[in-house]
Amino acid sequence: MTRVALRYASAIVFAVSMGLVAACGGGQSSSSQPAAARGMKIAVIAKSSTNPVFLSARTGAEAAAKEITAKTNVPIEIVWMTPPTEDGQVQAQRIAQAVNEGASAILISCSDAGKVNGAINDAVARGVDVMTFDSDAPESKRFAFYGVDDIKTGEAVMDELAKQMGEKGAVAILAGNQNAPNLRKRVDGVKQAAAKYPKMKIVDTFYHIETPQDAAAEVLRVQGAYPEVQGWAMIGGWPLFTQTLLTDLDPKRVKIVAVDGLPAELPYVEKGLAPVLLAQPTYLWGYVSVQKIYDKVHDKKDVPAVIPMELVRVTKDNLGTWARQLKEWGFTDVPDAYTKMP
Amino acid sequence: MIKRAFGSQQAGLLMVIVLLGVLLAITAGNHVDQRTGQVVNNFYNLHTLLQTATDASFFAIMAVGATVVIISGGIDLSVGSTYALAGVATAMVLRSAAPDGGLAIVGLAIVVSLGVGLVCGVLNGLMVVGLGVHPFIITLGTMWIVRGIAFVASRAESILVPSGLTAVAKASLGLSESVYPVPLLVMLAVTAIGSVYLTRTVMGRHVFAIGGNPEASRFSGLNLSRITIGVFVISGLTAGLAALLGAAFYGSASCGDATGYELYVIASAVVGGASLSGGKGSAVSAMLGALLIVLIRQSIRTMRFDQNYEWIIIGCATILAVVLDQASGRAALRRLSASATRR
Repeated sequence: MTRVALRYASAIVFAVSMGLVAACGGGQSSSSQPAAARGMKIAVIAKSSTNPVFLSARTGAEAAAKEITAKTNVPIEIVWMTPPTEDGQVQAQRIAQAVNEGASAILISCSDAGKVNGAINDAVARGVDVMTFDSDAPESKRFAFYGVDDIKTGEAVMDELAKQMGEKGAVAILAGNQNAPNLRKRVDGVKQAAAKYPKMKIVDTFYHIETPQDAAAEVLRVQGAYPEVQGWAMIGGWPLFTQTLLTDLDPKRVKIVAVDGLPAELPYVEKGLAPVLLAQPTYLWGYVSVQKIYDKVHDKKDVPAVIPMELVRVTKDNLGTWARQLKEWGFTDVPDAYTKMP
Repeated sequence: MIKRAFGSQQAGLLMVIVLLGVLLAITAGNHVDQRTGQVVNNFYNLHTLLQTATDASFFAIMAVGATVVIISGGIDLSVGSTYALAGVATAMVLRSAAPDGGLAIVGLAIVVSLGVGLVCGVLNGLMVVGLGVHPFIITLGTMWIVRGIAFVASRAESILVPSGLTAVAKASLGLSESVYPVPLLVMLAVTAIGSVYLTRTVMGRHVFAIGGNPEASRFSGLNLSRITIGVFVISGLTAGLAALLGAAFYGSASCGDATGYELYVIASAVVGGASLSGGKGSAVSAMLGALLIVLIRQSIRTMRFDQNYEWIIIGCATILAVVLDQASGRAALRRLSASATRR
């Protein structure tokens, strides 16, 4: 048993070494064909494939790729490499894999900038351009970032909430994942704006796993523990992807202002529980970013390092317009009742 | 001897890995390298092979320690949390102490990460022995406690480690640029040490003995408490080492690191043939199990399967590996009894 085990340990070391040696020389053959002639392969690595906002970004990226291919005859392929759950380490691994498999460029929303900085820099060193969206890695060598200004987004959430609450009352902040730098900045923005309203008090900031059920459960737990809470500053729309809060919170007593405006959240606007949603046009994360990557990588154009995304204010007044826009962007779950609204 | 070699469990796993590798090399397709203009196979190239080994190394190092616990008849669910705490503690100490020079940084990082792993392992072992509660419950509790400590200590921030430490973990060791063999080498070293410990030392044989038959071991005069604490210490140390390697390689540590990794680690040990009822397992097989799981993950992407099926495929592969292992065990037993009857 002992000898067999040791023999196999040696055999494995030998096999791995031989594989590496062979791979050094054996896996390549020369070609004079330039990379651009074969089109572009863009690897998209969002935070998690279970979050609907990133699925709309994927739809946008694929639509942009199709349009560019039709217009320029340069085939653009979108390779979806998003991990099932948020994990910065896995994102770093996927960046390396994308480079190894010949990606022309990488588009990423960083779960943990510290974890992916090295992998982004390695990719750039190996000739693969990287762009970030939604959540940036500003200390890396990525060529551009497309997304909202997170501090300003947080401030806008608090300002809207203050209007809804008559500038008085207790507020809770729902903050998602603690490690995401963009969410932390939004929380800072909420707190900075809250300082302008002396009659408003922030009871605390509440973090949770970024799934709709976990987020909704956290809201209900907090509401039970802090019955004085009359306003929720949600820097992401997670709990509004469920219908739970529609029945468990009273719109006459509690007001919510949330970032994002996906189809599942629209009933909250209609019922008045969330009178204002500050929607990120998440489809554009993919759509605009792929266009910018094409400009930079294929056309060698200059692209600004930060491309600001504007928030869309969704209220009862423009609910129909926004619902139709979502449907146009490929969302299949927009209720007809909203698309028929004026 | 050849028959024995081909019949061994490691040979079977190795064969599956090689076959999967060949399949990936054939089906992966090629791409044109951005810089050299050469056509490169998407799987069979130095970067991808090393990256696969690197991805597996963090699981494999922990799986060697977890296998020792599993052989003893226990289980350690806290390895992922120990990884997170060891990484966070190492990053925080390095940030506050700010040591000068590469050697001082690496030395301090090793002391802190292994120290945290050691403390977590000792606590797990002491509680299992002292409270007489099943390791599943104790380590389920410490899994949350330890991650909670990492959360409170780090304030949920991702803490950067000094670039000197990353330079060591990402040293190319004379290979080409952007090729980092250090995690692979550490994984092989830990596997070799684990293998020698389990098969060549008295302490290692004691671990098999208490896992195979604790009562008989007790009556043979073995100190079960000491051995139990020892196996949890080994598990904690390997988690600490994996954390050091992970924080150094990726350049930062946070309290959310390695969330859910305990299941991959246990799956690696089990796919490698370790028996959850104790008395069976090997360090080499655990490493091969980790490699196989990572290779399956890799193949889902390389072969362009829908990634949403990743968990389903890994779950099925884990069950299939264990069922095949049990079937081969039963077949071996039948051959043995048939041969005994003939004699």
